[in-house]
Amino acid sequence: MTGNRCLGIVLLAAAGALAPGSTALSQATKVPGLVQEGNYDPGNLGMQMQPAPQNGDAGAVYAVGPWPTYTPPLADGEGRELVQSFCGICHSTTYITMQPPLTSATWEAAVNKMIGTFGAPIPEPSAQAIIAYLKSHYTPETRKE
Amino acid sequence: MGRLSRRSLLAWLGSGAAGLALGGQARAQVPPHAATPLPSFTGPGANPYWNGVNPFVSYPQKLPLLRMTDRGIQLETSRPYFLSPFTPNAAFYVRYHLELIPNAVDLSTWRLSLEGNVERPLQLSFDELVKNFKAVSVAAVNQCSGNSRSRFQPRVPGAQWGNGAMGNARWTGVRLRELLASAGIKSVTVQLQFQGLDRGPGPEGKGADAVMKSLDLTDPALDDALVAYLMNDEPLPMLNGFPIRLIVPGKFGVYWIKHLTWIRALTSEDTNYWMATAYHIPDTPKGTTTPAEAASGTLKTVPIGHVRMPVRSFIVVPDGSSKLPSGLPVRVQGIAFSGDGPVAKVEFSEDDGRSWVEATLGTDHGPYSFRTWEHTWRPSRAGKHVIAVRASDAKGNVQPDAPVWNPGGYLWNRVERQALIVGTAS
Repeated sequence: MTGNRCLGIVLLAAAGALAPGSTALSQATKVPGLVQEGNYDPGNLGMQMQPAPQNGDAGAVYAVGPWPTYTPPLADGEGRELVQSFCGICHSTTYITMQPPLTSATWEAAVNKMIGTFGAPIPEPSAQAIIAYLKSHYTPETRKE
Repeated sequence: MGRLSRRSLLAWLGSGAAGLALGGQARAQVPPHAATPLPSFTGPGANPYWNGVNPFVSYPQKLPLLRMTDRGIQLETSRPYFLSPFTPNAAFYVRYHLELIPNAVDLSTWRLSLEGNVERPLQLSFDELVKNFKAVSVAAVNQCSGNSRSRFQPRVPGAQWGNGAMGNARWTGVRLRELLASAGIKSVTVQLQFQGLDRGPGPEGKGADAVMKSLDLTDPALDDALVAYLMNDEPLPMLNGFPIRLIVPGKFGVYWIKHLTWIRALTSEDTNYWMATAYHIPDTPKGTTTPAEAASGTLKTVPIGHVRMPVRSFIVVPDGSSKLPSGLPVRVQGIAFSGDGPVAKVEFSEDDGRSWVEATLGTDHGPYSFRTWEHTWRPSRAGKHVIAVRASDAKGNVQPDAPVWNPGGYLWNRVERQALIVGTAS
């Protein structure tokens, strides 16, 4: 990122606009119509890997390789490991983070639905701990990220 | 263009000549690079963005799509792909319920079974399907029942789609009715059950074991149904159901079983979880209810297959990501469709839905297809504007400007709006 930021400063310096100790942003206003330049996002927004081509197999098997996963972290707190191990039997915890903040009653109903309707093998004490974790981090009152 | 005066440029843009000159050639639009990424979740208010707020990710045979969930896989199509009437296979949304999604299929052992209450049980290879039956094509929209679920107030759990859990393709394959005739459906058959290769790790008989959907044998939608092996004239991507998929024009996507492998003639109504409980809508006008009524336990519900997809329309561009300089006409473009098609009319509003003018419809690709529309809008002033669009279908259904609510988050079809900023140019 340092290199990118330097590029912006070099361009401004070449235009004779850079004064010692000033930021690129304020100096840019001296070029007519230019409001901002040399601003680079240090994140990896938009970065993608390219897949390799298929090999020469002309048989009847059509394969696409493994499915990638993109699972964001769960909020840190008591019960997180239970959530990851039990809920993760059938689905990634992205199913939790992608929800809007849900009420305690809705989370409780969701866990009970997973056990009763979908057949999740979660012992009662663990189910209660999982519900407590979801209430502590994913309701309108508690959700932070 | 050569030298054009400002006046003639405006006339040229406004006349539709721009559309004719560029029609079919320059059809992709991308928003400017994100200066600030969207938040990682929305709520408890409604999601205000056109798509869900998920990141772009890469999957086999797919362009970057918006990751809803990664195991099972749910991917949303981003807004720019809806500029064209047909959605590219590589950009077509993906929605699975369970995690065991095929990574590889062997066509030397795969067979489509027609079984149950039939005269002649069939086991058809891919090659036999392609060679022994007449190929038929239909343009049809596949839309998730929960498309736009993130608009619901109060919010409901489930996949938090924006508007991109839909796509339109030209599907080619075999008529379902022709396959049924080959197998000979016996009398007292009431429903046909469909199941694909995808499944889950749950115990047998529970919802996380397998997804099965059934339609009444007498449902007229089956007359238009196909077993498709081509999607936009190409093999289906694995994530859209390779090698074959059930196509049920007019019905929601949950019935369009991917990796279709079993068709069963049932002599009694299907009672598996995915029919008896899941994907139910209130048996009320427009399928709407209230949280209080839903919580009362007295609400009568029916499978969503009892209805066709309600009429919808969308604004694709301008998308509000860039400021529009005043003085230039704005070419507003979008799509419309109805499961009760065809689309009869699309109307545009420049004043947040207070007054409406008729928009120009694009090529008709059939009653179940996306229909493109456009309208040249001349903003009267700099400042914030809210434009809106609504469609009507040939059955007389008009998109309402009232939200629907039900606990499943289904059937959203409210009038769509887009806020735009017009800047001064001097």
